Amino acid sequence: MLIKFFADVRKFTGRLEQEWTRPAPTLRELVLGLAEQHGQAFLDRVLPGGKLSATIIVLVNGQSIVHLEGLETALRPEDTVAFFPMIAGG
Amino acid sequence: MFGWSGTILRVNLTTGAIRKEATNPADTAKFIGARGLGTKIMVDEVDPKVDPLSPENKLIFAPGPFSGTFAPSGGRYDVVTKGPLTGTIAASNSGGSFGPELKYAGYDLLILEGKAAKPVYLWIKDDLVEIRDASHIWGNLVPETTELLRAETDEEAKVACIGPAGEKGVLFAAIMNDMHRAAGRSGVGAVMGSKNLKAVVVVGMGAVKVADPKGFMAAVEKARAAVKLHPVGGAGLKAYGTDVLVNILNETGALPTRNFQDAHFPTANKVGGESLSEKLLVRPKGCYSCVISCGRVTKVSNPKYMGEGEGPEYEAAWCMGPDCGIDDLEAIVKTNFLCNEYGLDSITLGATIACGMDLFEAGHVTLKDTGGVDMSFGNADSLVELTRLIGNREGIGDKLALGSYRFAEGYGHPEFSMTVKKQEMPAYDPRGVQGIGLEYATSNRGGCHVRGYTIAVEVLGNGAKLDPHVTAEKPFWVKLFQDLTAAIDSTGACLFGTFGMSGEDFASMLTTLTGVSYTLDDYLKAGERIWNLERMFNLKAGFTSADDNLPERLLKCPIKTGPSKGEVSHLADMLPEYYQLRGWDEHGVPTPEKIKELALD
Repeated sequence: MLIKFFADVRKFTGRLEQEWTRPAPTLRELVLGLAEQHGQAFLDRVLPGGKLSATIIVLVNGQSIVHLEGLETALRPEDTVAFFPMIAGG
Repeated sequence: MFGWSGTILRVNLTTGAIRKEATNPADTAKFIGARGLGTKIMVDEVDPKVDPLSPENKLIFAPGPFSGTFAPSGGRYDVVTKGPLTGTIAASNSGGSFGPELKYAGYDLLILEGKAAKPVYLWIKDDLVEIRDASHIWGNLVPETTELLRAETDEEAKVACIGPAGEKGVLFAAIMNDMHRAAGRSGVGAVMGSKNLKAVVVVGMGAVKVADPKGFMAAVEKARAAVKLHPVGGAGLKAYGTDVLVNILNETGALPTRNFQDAHFPTANKVGGESLSEKLLVRPKGCYSCVISCGRVTKVSNPKYMGEGEGPEYEAAWCMGPDCGIDDLEAIVKTNFLCNEYGLDSITLGATIACGMDLFEAGHVTLKDTGGVDMSFGNADSLVELTRLIGNREGIGDKLALGSYRFAEGYGHPEFSMTVKKQEMPAYDPRGVQGIGLEYATSNRGGCHVRGYTIAVEVLGNGAKLDPHVTAEKPFWVKLFQDLTAAIDSTGACLFGTFGMSGEDFASMLTTLTGVSYTLDDYLKAGERIWNLERMFNLKAGFTSADDNLPERLLKCPIKTGPSKGEVSHLADMLPEYYQLRGWDEHGVPTPEKIKELALD
């Protein structure tokens, strides 16, 4: 599974992207697994109080998880997961 | 009057007549100011069928009631005219400090008529207004023009001017103010050049009178706090600029690539806001009364593309980058500097070159046509060279200076032009984001994202979280955002204030500033009125519902790769509902009932 991090989320991971090979059947489990690697600050940024932050956008294969199953979205090894802060511009 | 100065300055460049007229309170109440008030003047005074580059067209510099106040990001103004690129009404919006200075000099609008016999500039110092010779600065780039005019008038003067592109009639020439800010779209700079007007130079010592100072400051403090606390307005845009959007649009599968041949660019990250901040950013910069600071002061040290200046914004980075198949950020930043120096709309510049590259690779444009310039996708050196050629209207640049539609049409293939009403679409692929396609198709100034930025709710989850791939509800959101944007533009506020501020915040500040009561409904109704007024101008100019369309490539050719693979735009599923919501007939014409409801009869 390919995991990508953008804008200020990179500050917590120190990298643009990484491969994820450990089991992660859902997005929630992936985030918890990533937090073990990147620390409490990452967890607090993405999943404060166990809920997805209102200022985080997560895409699975380009689709926002808001239109999938949220944190319970099922993941497959061939998926791409991208983490963004809330951003805008134009 | 409060909020408005109460005076309109009218200058006839043919006769040299300079007149000061009273601002009509009935007009400001209905059309607010800036874009709305300028459009009202155009509708009242200019034949919609006029040749945009003739003396009969008018050029209106229009700050709004917020311009020059403490309202957050209230430093903007509009240039309203009939645009030569599109033939539609054009209202091009810019930041910096020029708009507030015009208000401090005492003017709600500056209306320019006719055509000067030789190059001139306008010098305004409060009540003093002079038409001065500009022969000695004609031909200069924007930075030199600005410095020379400040030196011979006042070092504190604010300058709005054209560069060589506007002088030479490039149909997408911009008017530049404060050196780096642009009233960019629709070719307003070409209209200024057609009038032999090089610059407007302003110093104002006055102030904006406020109806309810305590109430206004309370509303302002609330609004400023809302923007500062918002994750986008408060920190995100300052840290990364608007170019931060490259990656999320690419990951969504809606980043137009190689002239909209595709919507996914594998090396997009190289040209995104994160890379720009890490490699070339000197510091962020804000406009007058800005609490956001999305502006980018940038510098390239590589001798090949050396330069200093500002930008690029997301749209410029996209059209000079992925849309041209280019991932060389330094070349993109250099090209953006050149756009500012020559006075060019960076979006149409990049998208026109992308169209040229597409035609070149298809064999419709040859090396002989280009004078030896390799116009293959991905050629960063050619991007820079072509920009200079366009700015000077030399070689192939003379034809590219007409924009992509006329360029492609000239080679027998207008279908290669990714335009709506002959204006190039910006950086969101309507096949991957359905609502923005409807917005482009119905935009009153041709392909444009800042008439109704549905990307906020379709991709960015700002205000609502809509699925970008479905068409349901999109007509409602397009209409709402178009009306709200028309109202915000007409106050003289920056659209980015919506990253924190609500419609109620805008209405509250407008009420306490002007003393004219605006509820949120009144405010939105004013926006709808302005939108319909613009539509009526365009209909009289000869546009029909057939022009509310998208290029065939977006309707019939599916996206080839990436997350939105297989998608096309479903414009036809949305347009009838949009007309219905607007109170227009099936031909897109406002009904008599709607015209009466909006008091436009």
